[in-house]
Amino acid sequence: MVELVQGWLLRPNFIAFVTLFLLGLYITVTHHNLLKKLIGLYLVQTSVIFFLVTTSAKDGATVPILMPGKTAIQPDAYVNPLPHVLTLTAIVVQVATLGVSLALVAGIYRKYGSLDEDEVLKKLE
Amino acid sequence: MIESRHDSVIVRRLSRGLIPLVQIFALYILFFGQYNPGGGFVGGVMLGTSLILGILVFGPTDPLTVVTKRIAETDGVGLMIFAAVGGLCLIGGGQFLNYAELEIPGLAAPSRRSLGIILTQIGVAVDIAVTAVSIVFSLSVMSGNGDSHG
Amino acid sequence: MSDHLPILVFLIPFLAAICMPLVGLNNPGRCRPLALTALGGMFLLSVATLWRILSQGAIRYAFSGWAPPTGIEWVADEIAGIMVLVLSALAFLSLLHTRQDASAELAGRTVPYHAIVLTLVSGLTGMVYSGDLFNIFVFLEIAALSGYALVGVSGGRALVSAFRYLIMGSLGASFYLLGVSYFYAATGTLNMADLAQRVPDLLASKAVIGGLSFMFIGLGIKMALMPLHGWLPDAYTDAPDAVSPLLAALVTKVALLAWIRILYWVLAAGSYGMIIEIFGLLWVVGAFASVGGAVLALTQQDLKRRFAYGGLAHIGLILVGVGQGTQAGVTSGLFYLINDAVMQCLLFIMAGAIGSRYGVRTLDDLGRTRLPTPWIITGFVVAALSMIGLPPTGGFFGKWYIVLSAIENENYVAVVAVVLTTVLTMAYFIQVLEPMLRDGETGPRSPEIETPLQLRLSAGVLSVAIIGLGLWSDRIVQVLLHATSRLGL
Repeated sequence: MVELVQGWLLRPNFIAFVTLFLLGLYITVTHHNLLKKLIGLYLVQTSVIFFLVTTSAKDGATVPILMPGKTAIQPDAYVNPLPHVLTLTAIVVQVATLGVSLALVAGIYRKYGSLDEDEVLKKLE
Repeated sequence: MIESRHDSVIVRRLSRGLIPLVQIFALYILFFGQYNPGGGFVGGVMLGTSLILGILVFGPTDPLTVVTKRIAETDGVGLMIFAAVGGLCLIGGGQFLNYAELEIPGLAAPSRRSLGIILTQIGVAVDIAVTAVSIVFSLSVMSGNGDSHG
Repeated sequence: MSDHLPILVFLIPFLAAICMPLVGLNNPGRCRPLALTALGGMFLLSVATLWRILSQGAIRYAFSGWAPPTGIEWVADEIAGIMVLVLSALAFLSLLHTRQDASAELAGRTVPYHAIVLTLVSGLTGMVYSGDLFNIFVFLEIAALSGYALVGVSGGRALVSAFRYLIMGSLGASFYLLGVSYFYAATGTLNMADLAQRVPDLLASKAVIGGLSFMFIGLGIKMALMPLHGWLPDAYTDAPDAVSPLLAALVTKVALLAWIRILYWVLAAGSYGMIIEIFGLLWVVGAFASVGGAVLALTQQDLKRRFAYGGLAHIGLILVGVGQGTQAGVTSGLFYLINDAVMQCLLFIMAGAIGSRYGVRTLDDLGRTRLPTPWIITGFVVAALSMIGLPPTGGFFGKWYIVLSAIENENYVAVVAVVLTTVLTMAYFIQVLEPMLRDGETGPRSPEIETPLQLRLSAGVLSVAIIGLGLWSDRIVQVLLHATSRLGL
């Protein structure tokens, strides 16, 4: 048991990711306001993207941008650039999802006059 | 949200000076994205932000807003630039987006790849700027707007 | 030139979608011909691609010239070829069958509607061809975002259904991305062919098992596997009638195809004598979904809702086939997937037709009015025969092969589930067909609206396709067996 907890403490990125993910999921499920649900969804997506980018970390390495003037490139000096690329793409997907969801929420507000989930569902009956 | 132009003359004057500065900075980030952090996505967001500032401050009747609305209706131009660059690579004989096969005389393969990447980043920046502006137009309440664009 | 066919098949609808805002700027009437031409061209090119794949083998397309596993590649094998052919044909027919002036339903949003339909089709094409796990995620999200917008296009009720679909779908995509990052952290690569060489050694590691579970949940939400199906009935019912066939036929099926790829091609599960425990989970969940969907369909009054639950049952059936872990199982599952896409398209086209033309949306409406429309009734009957699984339609052969593969595996519970689903499907279809085919009824007769040519064309082609899938089933299954023979099952 002690080794298990020590293993967790050695990996702070997992702890941060799990906290953010569960917090976002909780917000999405429990809050009634539609915009707050979207904020929870955004937190969930951000936590997954954060986890993806932390898989690139290396001990004592720097950002994956080639420093000018050096002739030989040591791969150990730079972090793994592939997860950074995947993160960029995932962020763009997240922004697009946010755009579509805000358009839907704006339409719901115009049609039903309320952003509260219970009121909207009642008006649908 | 965009009923009329902003009341305060200070805000209007400052914006008149700030908007070109933001756009120049956006272009700097776009083109220096080859060697520093940056690139097409961030440059496009900043370009779009400068236009949104103009729309919010100057109101619906200003020429800036009218021109931006016309630009926002031609939504696909940025992606067309991207697809055109990829298609030119196809025509040159390589795979899609294989910039080494662009038919540009006098450039070696690495320079062609660099040129291809910067062209696609320009397309991405234009597309993101237009998207940001069109989101603001769709969500706002403006005369002659509303449900027309969906 | 023919090496570039996969990307050309993708580029045609994509370029048409990009050019749509410019084309429709001053004259929205130009959008529909452009969209139909693009989808028609895509269909012809997909026929050429399938011809090339069948004669010369799979096409591996490396983008930007960088060879895999460093670069991104697309793999066009027989399954992808058939799937893209079906996709383009169904998209073309779904777009064709709507009236020219369906603008009342679209609320004047013609230009964005056509552009988004084309982005949906291109996103699904990319997902089918993709040979890379992250590429599947990107195209999954492109298709999903287009789906959310299309469900909400008619406004009102549909906006709330689209919002629910968006929240659940985005959660599903986040789970899938989490699974992909676990796989990347464990192996260091995202290419499916490369993963197939590295993952089987790591199957005991918690990272791979965790990643696999997250991917299963994520794709399970996207393919509406019971009990993760909450978004589907509302989304299919409230979507406009022009859009439901496209969504119902394609989106969940392509997500299911992505899961089959991950299970068999990446994990190489079941091959070399290694049957891992996930198959037990799969066929049990599939059996539960198929029986549950059919039971819930019996209780629905609204016609489109009834067919939506029927679709859920079919996803379960496909998973029962896939979950057997044998080559016969996965081949039968894939064959039934293709059949199901065609059947659902025809069914929703017919339901939308009687809904929008005659105002018949629930079972009570069906009992009250008589429909003097031989084309629509024939389409309904053919779709019903195929969904129930009666020869000579394709549905019968699909279910037959699934049952055979389950018997081969001595999995009699699955056989019972399939038979039970068939009986329940027959029950809920008889409830629909009986008022339609009743003779000598004293109800008011609907006015004779001439069935337009587009609807006749769509219904006719799809009905012939369903029967053709049945008659040529052994040829198609031979092609699928050849495709799955390299899995080492």
